[in-house]
Amino acid sequence: MEKNFDTESLLKLVQDSTQRLKVVLTVLVLGISFYHFAKRDFAYRETTFFDDFMIDSFGPVQRAFTDSQNWLSDIVNHYVANVNASKNNETLQKRIAKLESDLLSTSETTKENERLKELLKFGQNLKHQEVLAQIVAWDASSDFRVIRINKGAADGVKIQSAVVTSDGVVGYIYRLTDHFADVLTILDPNNRVDGLVARIRAHGIVEGYTDRLALMKYVTRTEPVILDDTILTSGLGNIYPKGLVIGNVAKIERQSYGITQHIEISPAVDFSRLEEVIVLVSSADDSKKLEWNALDAFDGSDN
Amino acid sequence: MNSQLKHLITRMFVTILILIVLETLASSLFPMFGMIRYRVPFNVLIVLYITFKLRTPWIPVMVLTIQWIHSFYTVEGWEIGTIAGVFVAIVVSYVKDLMHFSSSAITIFLTQLFQCVWLAIVIGLLALKGAENFYLVDKFWRFIPESLIISLLSPFLFSILDKIWASNERGMLGDEG
Repeated sequence: MEKNFDTESLLKLVQDSTQRLKVVLTVLVLGISFYHFAKRDFAYRETTFFDDFMIDSFGPVQRAFTDSQNWLSDIVNHYVANVNASKNNETLQKRIAKLESDLLSTSETTKENERLKELLKFGQNLKHQEVLAQIVAWDASSDFRVIRINKGAADGVKIQSAVVTSDGVVGYIYRLTDHFADVLTILDPNNRVDGLVARIRAHGIVEGYTDRLALMKYVTRTEPVILDDTILTSGLGNIYPKGLVIGNVAKIERQSYGITQHIEISPAVDFSRLEEVIVLVSSADDSKKLEWNALDAFDGSDN
Repeated sequence: MNSQLKHLITRMFVTILILIVLETLASSLFPMFGMIRYRVPFNVLIVLYITFKLRTPWIPVMVLTIQWIHSFYTVEGWEIGTIAGVFVAIVVSYVKDLMHFSSSAITIFLTQLFQCVWLAIVIGLLALKGAENFYLVDKFWRFIPESLIISLLSPFLFSILDKIWASNERGMLGDEG
């Protein structure tokens, strides 16, 4: 009986063209999706010509929404609520933040000079082109902490360029089109930054944890990290320049067992109030790419 | 078959336009008002509508198209949503005859139920890819309010999509499924 039923179903499937098409399409779509899902890498995402076209077409609409909201809040904050004072206050706050950032950067350089007098060649004063960009949208999925900015390859932005504000690190360029770019922020679990505890020079990997916190992993339990310690980028990993502020230690859990400690970091950048960012495009990117290409070519010829 | 495909493409085009408007709202307007932690996954709602109400062999391709458009607004990509959507469509195809969208309460309940199926598939795939536990737990907590919003919106959005797809309670496109 069971066997008859199975044969009948199979016969129906073979004879019914609609059923056949349904099965073929389902298998095909699932196959393609699984293949791409398995191949997916979270270092960066290459875009096709059509992706560029679509994102560049949707981007201006997102920007129009953002601009209209900014325009409205600007009127309310600066004209209706407080004629001039709030505008002046905002400018001064930005200047203070910039000066504080400069001060920290200077003290960091002094420390470095003391420790590594004759090894100052490190970093070789890499020059960065700075591109000022505005945030036009956030990622449509809450699984990812990604922002879209209104500058792209046409403005000189390159894939995997670091993105910062005067307060600290925001993230890096993950997906790039001609006029827009997606930034994978340090709050995203897929973003990993090599970090350094400024006071004790202990290394660890900083990765996104929640929408407000990041985790610093692989810091050994014996390292005397304390609350409010400043975490900086170490410069390893070829994405972020050395000495940029990531954030401050917000919570430490040190068990009596285990090798590492659980460190939560409160980012220096307030992501809920983020409006403008700076993209640091390294001039070394091209030479790095050439070096990688040469190495790839060498590997190929070796085999 | 050709005229049916022509209708399907026209209606799909209008559905995509609706998706674009909703995705733009979700990605640019809501975060500007401080809605940073949560997003409303309108793509899931539209995919669920397609799987619930339409009876056509082209459902997997339609799911893929919706997810592909969604991928321009997120770095999530189209793959994981397509896999989840197609599996949901397979599950729905077995119980389609038992499902009747006769009231808003039933629509809300069924949308919530199949969003749970969607979540289970996505969490399973992410776990296979090596996602950490805290990430999956956090995803679950975000899913609760997001899915509730989607479920509550479903009767309204389904009624709009019913008009576009000329669908009734029993489905459309000749019930040849």
